[in-house]
Amino acid sequence: MDIAFFKQALGIAFSGVPLTLLVTVVTLIIALPVGFFLTLVRMKRIPVIHQLIGIYLSFIRGTPVIIQIFVLYNSIPLLIAGVAKGKFDVYAIHPIWYAFVIFSFGMAAIVAEIVRGALQTVDKGQLEAAYSVGLTVPQAYRRIILPQMLTAALPNLCTATVNLVKATSLGYAIALPEITLRTKVAANAGYHYVEAYTAIFIVYLLICLLIEYAFHKTEQRVRRYQGGIAC
Amino acid sequence: MLTVTNVHKAFGDNKILQGVDLAINKGDVVVILGPSGSGKTTLLRCLNFLEQADQGTATFSDLQVDLAKATRKEIYAVRQKTAFVFQNYNLFANKTALDNVTEGLITGRKWAKEAARQKAREALAKVGLNGKEDLYPSQLSGGQQQRVGIARALVLEPDIILFDEPTSALDPELVGEVLEVMKTIAQEGTTMLVVTHEMSFAKEVANHVIFMDGGRVVEQGDADAIFLRPKEERTKQFLRRVLPQEYNYQI
Ligand SMILES: Nc1ncnc2c1ncn2[C@@H]1O[C@H](COP(=O)(O)OP(=O)(O)OP(=O)(O)O)[C@@H](O)[C@H]1O
Ligand SMILES: [Mg+2]
Repeated sequence: MDIAFFKQALGIAFSGVPLTLLVTVVTLIIALPVGFFLTLVRMKRIPVIHQLIGIYLSFIRGTPVIIQIFVLYNSIPLLIAGVAKGKFDVYAIHPIWYAFVIFSFGMAAIVAEIVRGALQTVDKGQLEAAYSVGLTVPQAYRRIILPQMLTAALPNLCTATVNLVKATSLGYAIALPEITLRTKVAANAGYHYVEAYTAIFIVYLLICLLIEYAFHKTEQRVRRYQGGIAC
Repeated sequence: MLTVTNVHKAFGDNKILQGVDLAINKGDVVVILGPSGSGKTTLLRCLNFLEQADQGTATFSDLQVDLAKATRKEIYAVRQKTAFVFQNYNLFANKTALDNVTEGLITGRKWAKEAARQKAREALAKVGLNGKEDLYPSQLSGGQQQRVGIARALVLEPDIILFDEPTSALDPELVGEVLEVMKTIAQEGTTMLVVTHEMSFAKEVANHVIFMDGGRVVEQGDADAIFLRPKEERTKQFLRRVLPQEYNYQI
Protein backbone atom coordinates (compact mmCIF):
# COMPACT_ATOMS: atom_id res chain seq x y z
CA MET A 1 0.00 0.00 0.00
CA ASP A 2 1.36 3.32 -1.08
CA ILE A 3 0.34 5.57 1.80
CA ALA A 4 1.40 8.75 0.03
CA PHE A 5 -0.74 7.93 -2.97
CA PHE A 6 -3.61 6.80 -0.74
CA LYS A 7 -3.64 10.23 0.90
CA GLN A 8 -3.54 11.87 -2.48
CA ALA A 9 -6.34 9.63 -3.74
CA LEU A 10 -8.44 10.48 -0.71
CA GLY A 11 -8.04 14.16 -1.56
CA ILE A 12 -9.02 13.54 -5.16
CA ALA A 13 -12.00 11.44 -4.14
CA PHE A 14 -13.19 14.21 -1.83
CA SER A 15 -12.85 16.71 -4.66
CA GLY A 16 -15.57 14.75 -6.44
CA VAL A 17 -17.99 15.04 -3.53
CA PRO A 18 -19.58 18.37 -4.53
CA LEU A 19 -20.49 17.06 -7.97
CA THR A 20 -21.88 13.81 -6.57
CA LEU A 21 -23.96 15.75 -4.05
CA LEU A 22 -25.08 18.23 -6.70
CA VAL A 23 -26.36 15.42 -8.92
CA THR A 24 -28.06 13.80 -5.91
CA VAL A 25 -29.73 17.00 -4.74
CA VAL A 26 -30.90 18.14 -8.17
CA THR A 27 -32.23 14.64 -8.85
CA LEU A 28 -34.20 14.71 -5.60
CA ILE A 29 -35.55 18.19 -6.31
CA ILE A 30 -36.86 16.98 -9.65
CA ALA A 31 -37.88 13.43 -8.71
CA LEU A 32 -39.80 14.13 -5.49
CA PRO A 33 -42.54 16.31 -6.98
CA VAL A 34 -42.59 14.39 -10.27
CA GLY A 35 -42.90 11.05 -8.47
CA PHE A 36 -45.64 12.39 -6.21
CA PHE A 37 -47.52 13.79 -9.18
CA LEU A 38 -47.14 10.49 -11.08
CA THR A 39 -48.79 8.65 -8.20
CA LEU A 40 -51.68 11.10 -8.02
CA VAL A 41 -52.23 10.82 -11.78
CA ARG A 42 -52.00 7.04 -11.56
CA MET A 43 -54.67 6.95 -8.84
CA LYS A 44 -57.10 8.64 -11.23
CA ARG A 45 -56.78 5.59 -13.52
CA ILE A 46 -57.10 7.54 -16.77
CA PRO A 47 -56.93 5.03 -19.66
CA VAL A 48 -53.71 5.02 -21.72
CA ILE A 49 -51.91 7.39 -19.35
CA HIS A 50 -52.32 4.83 -16.58
CA GLN A 51 -50.78 2.10 -18.74
CA LEU A 52 -47.97 4.36 -19.97
CA ILE A 53 -46.96 5.18 -16.42
CA GLY A 54 -47.16 1.47 -15.59
CA ILE A 55 -44.78 0.60 -18.41
CA TYR A 56 -42.37 3.31 -17.36
CA LEU A 57 -42.40 2.06 -13.76
CA SER A 58 -41.72 -1.53 -14.84
CA PHE A 59 -38.88 -0.36 -17.11
CA ILE A 60 -37.18 1.29 -14.16
CA ARG A 61 -37.90 -1.54 -11.75
CA GLY A 62 -36.81 -4.25 -14.15
CA THR A 63 -33.57 -2.92 -15.64
CA PRO A 64 -30.09 -2.29 -14.23
CA VAL A 65 -29.22 1.38 -13.72
CA ILE A 66 -26.27 1.08 -16.06
CA ILE A 67 -28.59 -0.03 -18.88
CA GLN A 68 -30.93 2.90 -18.17
CA ILE A 69 -27.92 5.17 -18.41
CA PHE A 70 -26.80 3.73 -21.75
CA VAL A 71 -30.27 3.79 -23.25
CA LEU A 72 -30.96 7.40 -22.25
CA TYR A 73 -27.43 8.65 -22.91
CA ASN A 74 -27.64 7.36 -26.45
CA SER A 75 -31.21 8.28 -27.24
CA ILE A 76 -31.41 11.78 -25.74
CA PRO A 77 -28.88 13.29 -28.20
CA LEU A 78 -30.83 11.81 -31.10
CA LEU A 79 -34.01 13.31 -29.77
CA ILE A 80 -32.47 16.73 -29.21
CA ALA A 81 -30.71 16.68 -32.57
CA GLY A 82 -34.00 15.84 -34.22
CA VAL A 83 -35.75 18.76 -32.54
CA ALA A 84 -32.90 21.29 -32.79
CA LYS A 85 -32.16 20.47 -36.45
CA GLY A 86 -28.47 21.32 -36.28
CA LYS A 87 -28.92 24.64 -34.50
CA PHE A 88 -26.48 23.54 -31.83
CA ASP A 89 -23.97 20.79 -31.22
CA VAL A 90 -25.53 18.13 -29.02
CA TYR A 91 -22.13 16.66 -28.29
CA ALA A 92 -21.06 19.88 -26.54
CA ILE A 93 -23.61 19.34 -23.76
CA HIS A 94 -21.84 18.79 -20.43
CA PRO A 95 -22.44 15.30 -19.03
CA ILE A 96 -23.88 16.76 -15.84
CA TRP A 97 -27.05 17.68 -17.74
CA TYR A 98 -27.38 14.10 -18.86
CA ALA A 99 -26.82 12.98 -15.29
CA PHE A 100 -29.66 15.20 -14.04
CA VAL A 101 -32.06 13.82 -16.62
CA ILE A 102 -31.02 10.17 -16.36
CA PHE A 103 -30.98 9.92 -12.58
CA SER A 104 -34.22 11.92 -12.22
CA PHE A 105 -35.83 9.58 -14.71
CA GLY A 106 -35.01 6.58 -12.55
CA MET A 107 -35.55 8.25 -9.19
CA ALA A 108 -39.02 9.60 -10.06
CA ALA A 109 -40.22 6.02 -10.57
CA ILE A 110 -38.79 4.93 -7.24
CA VAL A 111 -40.36 7.93 -5.50
CA ALA A 112 -43.69 7.11 -7.14
CA GLU A 113 -43.62 3.61 -5.67
CA ILE A 114 -42.67 4.93 -2.25
CA VAL A 115 -45.40 7.58 -2.33
CA ARG A 116 -48.00 5.03 -3.35
CA GLY A 117 -47.14 2.80 -0.42
CA ALA A 118 -47.02 5.74 1.99
CA LEU A 119 -50.38 7.14 0.86
CA GLN A 120 -51.99 3.80 1.66
CA THR A 121 -50.86 4.13 5.27
CA VAL A 122 -52.91 7.31 5.75
CA ASP A 123 -56.53 6.64 6.72
CA LYS A 124 -59.16 7.85 4.26
CA GLY A 125 -61.00 9.46 7.18
CA GLN A 126 -58.17 12.02 7.50
CA LEU A 127 -58.98 13.42 4.08
CA GLU A 128 -62.72 13.43 4.80
CA ALA A 129 -62.21 15.22 8.09
CA ALA A 130 -60.11 17.83 6.31
CA TYR A 131 -62.85 18.40 3.74
CA SER A 132 -65.49 18.56 6.46
CA VAL A 133 -63.76 21.50 8.19
CA GLY A 134 -63.72 23.35 4.87
CA LEU A 135 -60.25 22.63 3.47
CA THR A 136 -59.78 22.51 -0.28
CA VAL A 137 -58.16 19.47 -1.90
CA PRO A 138 -54.66 21.02 -2.14
CA GLN A 139 -54.95 22.36 1.42
CA ALA A 140 -55.99 18.95 2.72
CA TYR A 141 -53.03 17.27 1.04
CA ARG A 142 -50.53 19.88 2.13
CA ARG A 143 -51.65 20.23 5.73
CA ILE A 144 -52.88 16.75 6.64
CA ILE A 145 -51.98 14.01 4.18
CA LEU A 146 -48.41 14.92 3.18
CA PRO A 147 -47.07 15.29 6.71
CA GLN A 148 -48.51 11.92 7.73
CA MET A 149 -47.34 10.27 4.55
CA LEU A 150 -43.85 11.54 5.15
CA THR A 151 -43.39 9.50 8.31
CA ALA A 152 -44.19 6.33 6.39
CA ALA A 153 -42.08 7.37 3.40
CA LEU A 154 -38.89 8.54 5.14
CA PRO A 155 -37.22 5.16 5.79
CA ASN A 156 -37.73 4.16 2.15
CA LEU A 157 -36.68 7.59 0.90
CA CYS A 158 -33.52 7.23 2.95
CA THR A 159 -32.68 3.90 1.30
CA ALA A 160 -33.51 5.34 -2.12
CA THR A 161 -31.29 8.38 -1.56
CA VAL A 162 -28.37 6.25 -0.44
CA ASN A 163 -28.86 4.05 -3.50
CA LEU A 164 -28.92 7.16 -5.64
CA VAL A 165 -25.59 8.37 -4.26
CA LYS A 166 -24.09 4.98 -4.98
CA ALA A 167 -25.65 4.92 -8.46
CA THR A 168 -24.01 8.25 -9.34
CA SER A 169 -20.69 6.34 -9.33
CA LEU A 170 -21.93 4.90 -12.63
CA GLY A 171 -21.58 8.45 -13.94
CA TYR A 172 -18.14 7.40 -15.19
CA ALA A 173 -20.00 5.74 -18.08
CA ILE A 174 -21.02 9.17 -19.36
CA ALA A 175 -17.71 10.85 -18.42
CA LEU A 176 -19.19 12.60 -15.40
CA PRO A 177 -16.18 13.71 -13.32
CA GLU A 178 -17.59 12.58 -9.95
CA ILE A 179 -15.83 10.75 -7.13
CA THR A 180 -15.21 7.43 -8.84
CA LEU A 181 -14.12 8.70 -12.21
CA ARG A 182 -11.67 11.28 -10.84
CA THR A 183 -10.00 8.84 -8.50
CA LYS A 184 -9.76 6.10 -11.07
CA VAL A 185 -8.14 8.41 -13.58
CA ALA A 186 -5.58 9.37 -10.97
CA ALA A 187 -4.93 5.71 -10.19
CA ASN A 188 -4.38 4.76 -13.82
CA ALA A 189 -1.01 6.53 -13.97
CA GLY A 190 0.75 4.34 -11.39
CA TYR A 191 -1.58 1.33 -11.24
CA HIS A 192 -2.49 2.28 -7.63
CA TYR A 193 -5.88 0.65 -7.82
CA VAL A 194 -6.12 -0.75 -4.30
CA GLU A 195 -5.35 2.63 -2.77
CA ALA A 196 -7.77 4.39 -5.11
CA TYR A 197 -10.64 2.01 -4.48
CA THR A 198 -10.09 2.12 -0.74
CA ALA A 199 -10.25 5.91 -0.88
CA ILE A 200 -13.45 5.79 -2.95
CA PHE A 201 -14.91 3.25 -0.54
CA ILE A 202 -14.26 5.48 2.46
CA VAL A 203 -15.71 8.58 0.85
CA TYR A 204 -18.97 6.88 -0.19
CA LEU A 205 -19.29 5.27 3.20
CA LEU A 206 -18.96 8.67 4.90
CA ILE A 207 -21.52 10.32 2.62
CA CYS A 208 -24.03 7.53 3.10
CA LEU A 209 -23.60 7.47 6.86
CA LEU A 210 -24.21 11.22 6.97
CA ILE A 211 -27.34 10.89 4.84
CA GLU A 212 -28.70 8.12 7.04
CA TYR A 213 -28.03 10.21 10.11
CA ALA A 214 -29.82 13.21 8.61
CA PHE A 215 -32.84 11.10 7.69
CA HIS A 216 -32.92 9.53 11.11
CA LYS A 217 -32.98 12.95 12.77
CA THR A 218 -35.72 14.18 10.44
CA GLU A 219 -37.75 11.06 11.11
CA GLN A 220 -37.52 11.58 14.85
CA ARG A 221 -38.83 15.10 14.37
CA VAL A 222 -41.77 14.25 12.13
CA ARG A 223 -42.75 11.21 14.19
CA ARG A 224 -43.25 13.24 17.34
CA TYR A 225 -47.02 13.11 16.97
CA GLN A 226 -47.06 9.32 17.09
CA GLY A 227 -45.79 9.47 20.63
CA GLY A 228 -42.34 7.98 20.36
CA ILE A 229 -40.15 6.55 17.65
CA ALA A 230 -41.35 3.40 16.00
CA CYS A 231 -38.05 2.24 14.55
CA MET B 1 -83.02 26.04 8.13
CA LEU B 2 -82.19 22.79 6.31
CA THR B 3 -84.60 21.16 3.91
CA VAL B 4 -83.64 17.99 2.11
CA THR B 5 -85.76 16.53 -0.64
CA ASN B 6 -85.82 13.26 -2.50
CA VAL B 7 -82.28 12.00 -1.91
CA HIS B 8 -81.36 8.90 -3.87
CA LYS B 9 -78.07 7.06 -3.72
CA ALA B 10 -77.02 3.66 -5.01
CA PHE B 11 -73.70 1.88 -4.83
CA GLY B 12 -73.77 -0.10 -8.06
CA ASP B 13 -77.08 -1.97 -8.08
CA ASN B 14 -77.42 -1.60 -4.35
CA LYS B 15 -80.01 1.15 -3.73
CA ILE B 16 -79.15 2.60 -0.35
CA LEU B 17 -81.23 5.81 -0.28
CA GLN B 18 -84.57 5.79 -2.04
CA GLY B 19 -86.09 9.23 -1.74
CA VAL B 20 -85.34 10.72 1.67
CA ASP B 21 -86.96 14.00 2.75
CA LEU B 22 -86.10 15.99 5.85
CA ALA B 23 -86.82 19.39 7.34
CA ILE B 24 -84.83 20.81 10.22
CA ASN B 25 -85.44 24.13 11.94
CA LYS B 26 -82.84 26.29 13.59
CA GLY B 27 -82.06 24.98 17.07
CA ASP B 28 -83.57 21.56 16.39
CA VAL B 29 -81.95 18.39 17.60
CA VAL B 30 -83.02 15.72 15.15
CA VAL B 31 -82.13 12.10 15.83
CA ILE B 32 -82.10 9.49 13.08
CA LEU B 33 -82.72 5.91 14.18
CA GLY B 34 -82.68 2.82 12.06
CA PRO B 35 -81.26 -0.66 11.70
CA SER B 36 -77.76 -1.27 10.41
CA GLY B 37 -77.51 -0.78 6.66
CA SER B 38 -80.58 1.45 6.43
CA GLY B 39 -78.54 4.28 4.91
CA LYS B 40 -78.15 6.65 7.86
CA THR B 41 -74.43 7.20 7.40
CA THR B 42 -74.82 7.49 3.65
CA LEU B 43 -77.46 10.21 4.09
CA LEU B 44 -75.19 12.33 6.32
CA ARG B 45 -72.26 11.81 3.97
CA CYS B 46 -74.32 12.94 0.99
CA LEU B 47 -75.29 16.11 2.85
CA ASN B 48 -71.62 16.95 3.37
CA PHE B 49 -70.58 15.77 -0.13
CA LEU B 50 -68.33 13.07 1.26
CA GLU B 51 -70.48 10.95 -1.04
CA GLN B 52 -72.17 12.17 -4.19
CA ALA B 53 -75.91 11.51 -4.26
CA ASP B 54 -77.55 10.35 -7.49
CA GLN B 55 -80.46 12.73 -7.01
CA GLY B 56 -81.81 15.17 -4.44
CA THR B 57 -81.61 18.76 -3.28
CA ALA B 58 -80.61 20.40 -0.03
CA THR B 59 -81.43 23.93 1.03
CA PHE B 60 -79.26 25.43 3.75
CA SER B 61 -80.98 28.68 4.77
CA ASP B 62 -80.46 30.74 1.61
CA LEU B 63 -78.29 28.27 -0.28
CA GLN B 64 -79.95 25.66 -2.47
CA VAL B 65 -77.79 22.94 -4.00
CA ASP B 66 -78.33 19.93 -6.18
CA LEU B 67 -76.77 17.05 -4.26
CA ALA B 68 -76.11 15.13 -7.48
CA LYS B 69 -74.34 17.84 -9.45
CA ALA B 70 -73.16 20.64 -7.22
CA THR B 71 -70.22 22.69 -8.45
CA ARG B 72 -66.99 22.71 -6.52
CA LYS B 73 -67.82 26.19 -5.27
CA GLU B 74 -71.20 25.07 -3.97
CA ILE B 75 -69.61 22.10 -2.24
CA TYR B 76 -67.16 24.40 -0.40
CA ALA B 77 -70.02 26.73 0.47
CA VAL B 78 -72.05 23.86 1.97
CA ARG B 79 -69.04 22.64 3.93
CA GLN B 80 -68.62 26.13 5.36
CA LYS B 81 -72.17 25.91 6.72
CA THR B 82 -71.92 22.38 8.09
CA ALA B 83 -69.59 20.37 10.29
CA PHE B 84 -69.23 16.64 10.73
CA VAL B 85 -68.50 14.52 13.79
CA PHE B 86 -67.29 11.08 12.76
CA GLN B 87 -67.92 7.70 14.29
CA ASN B 88 -64.19 7.01 14.64
CA TYR B 89 -63.30 10.65 15.44
CA ASN B 90 -60.92 11.14 12.49
CA LEU B 91 -58.86 13.68 14.38
CA PHE B 92 -55.88 14.90 12.38
CA ALA B 93 -53.23 12.50 13.65
CA ASN B 94 -50.36 14.90 12.98
CA LYS B 95 -51.87 17.78 14.93
CA THR B 96 -52.34 18.53 18.61
CA ALA B 97 -55.82 18.89 20.09
CA LEU B 98 -55.57 22.66 19.77
CA ASP B 99 -54.31 22.52 16.17
CA ASN B 100 -57.11 20.12 15.27
CA VAL B 101 -59.58 22.74 16.37
CA THR B 102 -57.84 25.73 14.78
CA GLU B 103 -57.22 24.03 11.41
CA GLY B 104 -60.63 24.83 9.94
CA LEU B 105 -60.44 28.42 11.15
CA ILE B 106 -56.89 29.21 10.06
CA THR B 107 -56.55 27.24 6.84
CA GLY B 108 -60.18 27.00 5.83
CA ARG B 109 -61.44 30.42 6.88
CA LYS B 110 -58.25 32.48 6.93
CA TRP B 111 -58.57 33.56 10.54
CA ALA B 112 -55.57 35.19 12.21
CA LYS B 113 -53.61 32.61 14.25
CA GLU B 114 -53.99 34.18 17.67
CA ALA B 115 -57.72 34.81 17.33
CA ALA B 116 -58.21 31.23 16.14
CA ARG B 117 -56.21 29.84 19.06
CA GLN B 118 -58.21 31.89 21.52
CA LYS B 119 -61.48 30.64 20.11
CA ALA B 120 -60.21 27.05 19.96
CA ARG B 121 -59.18 27.17 23.61
CA GLU B 122 -62.68 28.28 24.52
CA ALA B 123 -64.16 25.43 22.47
CA LEU B 124 -61.87 22.88 24.13
CA ALA B 125 -62.80 24.28 27.55
CA LYS B 126 -66.46 23.90 26.69
CA VAL B 127 -65.99 20.18 25.99
CA GLY B 128 -64.03 19.82 29.23
CA LEU B 129 -60.54 19.54 27.83
CA ASN B 130 -58.63 22.43 29.38
CA GLY B 131 -55.03 21.45 29.83
CA LYS B 132 -55.12 18.90 26.98
CA GLU B 133 -54.45 21.47 24.22
CA ASP B 134 -50.96 20.27 23.42
CA LEU B 135 -51.61 16.54 23.39
CA TYR B 136 -51.74 14.56 20.16
CA PRO B 137 -54.74 12.32 19.38
CA SER B 138 -52.60 9.24 20.10
CA GLN B 139 -52.22 10.54 23.66
CA LEU B 140 -55.96 10.98 24.27
CA SER B 141 -58.66 8.47 25.25
CA GLY B 142 -61.46 7.75 22.82
CA GLY B 143 -63.88 9.92 24.77
CA GLN B 144 -61.40 12.78 24.82
CA GLN B 145 -60.73 12.38 21.10
CA GLN B 146 -64.40 12.54 20.30
CA ARG B 147 -64.79 15.64 22.46
CA VAL B 148 -61.98 17.26 20.46
CA GLY B 149 -63.95 16.19 17.38
CA ILE B 150 -66.97 18.02 18.72
CA ALA B 151 -64.91 21.11 19.57
CA ARG B 152 -63.45 21.04 16.05
CA ALA B 153 -66.99 21.15 14.64
CA LEU B 154 -68.35 23.61 17.17
CA VAL B 155 -65.61 26.19 16.71
CA LEU B 156 -66.69 26.74 13.11
CA GLU B 157 -70.12 27.91 14.31
CA PRO B 158 -71.81 25.99 11.50
CA ASP B 159 -75.53 26.23 10.77
CA ILE B 160 -75.76 22.54 11.56
CA ILE B 161 -73.53 19.81 12.95
CA LEU B 162 -73.91 16.29 11.53
CA PHE B 163 -73.11 13.50 14.01
CA ASP B 164 -72.61 9.96 12.74
CA GLU B 165 -72.85 7.56 15.68
CA PRO B 166 -70.48 9.67 17.76
CA THR B 167 -70.38 7.23 20.68
CA SER B 168 -70.57 3.82 19.06
CA ALA B 169 -66.80 3.35 18.81
CA LEU B 170 -66.32 4.19 22.48
CA ASP B 171 -65.83 1.94 25.48
CA PRO B 172 -69.10 1.95 27.44
CA GLU B 173 -67.65 3.92 30.34
CA LEU B 174 -66.64 6.76 27.99
CA VAL B 175 -70.01 7.18 26.29
CA GLY B 176 -71.46 9.32 29.07
CA GLU B 177 -68.91 12.13 28.85
CA VAL B 178 -69.51 12.55 25.13
CA LEU B 179 -73.30 12.48 25.42
CA GLU B 180 -73.05 15.02 28.22
CA VAL B 181 -71.17 17.43 25.94
CA MET B 182 -73.68 16.88 23.15
CA LYS B 183 -76.52 17.62 25.54
CA THR B 184 -74.87 20.84 26.67
CA ILE B 185 -74.38 22.19 23.18
CA ALA B 186 -77.90 21.10 22.23
CA GLN B 187 -79.28 23.14 25.11
CA GLU B 188 -77.27 26.12 23.92
CA GLY B 189 -79.20 26.05 20.68
CA THR B 190 -76.84 24.23 18.32
CA THR B 191 -78.74 22.72 15.41
CA MET B 192 -77.85 19.03 15.28
CA LEU B 193 -78.63 16.06 13.07
CA VAL B 194 -77.59 12.98 15.02
CA VAL B 195 -77.43 9.35 13.95
CA THR B 196 -77.24 7.34 17.15
CA HIS B 197 -78.24 4.13 18.86
CA GLU B 198 -78.32 5.89 22.24
CA MET B 199 -82.03 5.82 22.97
CA SER B 200 -81.66 7.77 26.20
CA PHE B 201 -80.12 10.66 24.27
CA ALA B 202 -82.90 10.51 21.69
CA LYS B 203 -85.56 10.57 24.40
CA GLU B 204 -84.07 13.31 26.51
CA VAL B 205 -82.57 15.65 23.98
CA ALA B 206 -84.17 15.20 20.57
CA ASN B 207 -87.17 17.29 19.66
CA HIS B 208 -87.66 15.31 16.50
CA VAL B 209 -86.97 11.64 15.80
CA ILE B 210 -86.75 10.05 12.37
CA PHE B 211 -86.91 6.30 11.87
CA MET B 212 -85.26 5.08 8.67
CA ASP B 213 -85.34 1.66 7.13
CA GLY B 214 -84.43 0.42 3.68
CA GLY B 215 -83.29 3.84 2.50
CA ARG B 216 -86.58 5.56 3.33
CA VAL B 217 -88.00 7.56 6.20
CA VAL B 218 -90.56 5.17 7.65
CA GLU B 219 -91.90 7.32 10.45
CA GLN B 220 -91.09 10.58 12.19
CA GLY B 221 -92.36 12.77 14.95
CA ASP B 222 -91.41 14.10 18.37
CA ALA B 223 -89.64 11.70 20.70
CA ASP B 224 -92.79 10.77 22.64
CA ALA B 225 -94.75 10.03 19.51
CA ILE B 226 -92.07 7.68 18.21
CA PHE B 227 -91.15 5.98 21.46
CA LEU B 228 -94.58 5.76 23.10
CA ARG B 229 -96.98 5.64 20.17
CA PRO B 230 -95.18 4.28 17.09
CA LYS B 231 -97.59 3.61 14.25
CA GLU B 232 -95.57 1.57 11.80
CA GLU B 233 -94.91 -2.10 12.40
CA ARG B 234 -91.27 -1.76 11.38
CA THR B 235 -90.73 1.00 13.93
CA LYS B 236 -92.30 -1.10 16.66
CA GLN B 237 -90.11 -4.08 15.80
CA PHE B 238 -86.98 -1.95 15.83
CA LEU B 239 -87.83 -0.31 19.15
CA ARG B 240 -88.62 -3.66 20.75
CA ARG B 241 -85.11 -4.77 19.86
CA VAL B 242 -83.21 -1.68 20.97
CA LEU B 243 -85.10 -0.33 23.93
CA PRO B 244 -84.23 -1.57 27.39
CA GLN B 245 -86.82 -3.93 28.89
CA GLU B 246 -88.31 -1.38 31.26
CA TYR B 247 -89.74 0.65 28.39
CA ASN B 248 -91.20 -2.28 26.54
CA TYR B 249 -94.55 -2.25 28.30
CA GLN B 250 -95.18 1.18 26.83
CA ILE B 251 -95.20 -0.11 23.28
N1 LIG C 1 -68.68 3.19 -0.48
C1 LIG C 1 -69.59 2.19 -0.51
N2 LIG C 1 -69.55 1.29 -1.51
C2 LIG C 1 -70.46 0.28 -1.56
N3 LIG C 1 -71.42 0.07 -0.64
C3 LIG C 1 -71.49 0.94 0.39
C4 LIG C 1 -70.58 2.03 0.51
N4 LIG C 1 -70.89 2.72 1.64
C5 LIG C 1 -71.94 2.08 2.18
N5 LIG C 1 -72.31 1.03 1.44
C6 LIG C 1 -73.42 0.11 1.74
O1 LIG C 1 -74.57 0.87 1.96
C7 LIG C 1 -75.38 0.29 2.96
C8 LIG C 1 -75.86 1.33 3.92
O2 LIG C 1 -74.74 1.82 4.60
P1 LIG C 1 -74.80 2.93 5.71
O3 LIG C 1 -73.44 2.99 6.27
O4 LIG C 1 -75.38 4.17 5.17
O5 LIG C 1 -75.82 2.30 6.75
P2 LIG C 1 -76.08 2.77 8.25
O6 LIG C 1 -77.54 2.98 8.34
O7 LIG C 1 -75.21 3.90 8.61
O8 LIG C 1 -75.70 1.47 9.06
P3 LIG C 1 -74.95 1.35 10.49
O9 LIG C 1 -75.99 1.50 11.54
O10 LIG C 1 -74.40 -0.05 10.45
O11 LIG C 1 -73.88 2.38 10.54
C9 LIG C 1 -74.57 -0.82 3.59
O12 LIG C 1 -75.13 -2.05 3.20
C10 LIG C 1 -73.19 -0.66 3.01
O13 LIG C 1 -72.64 -1.93 2.74
MG1 LIG D 1 -73.57 4.15 9.91
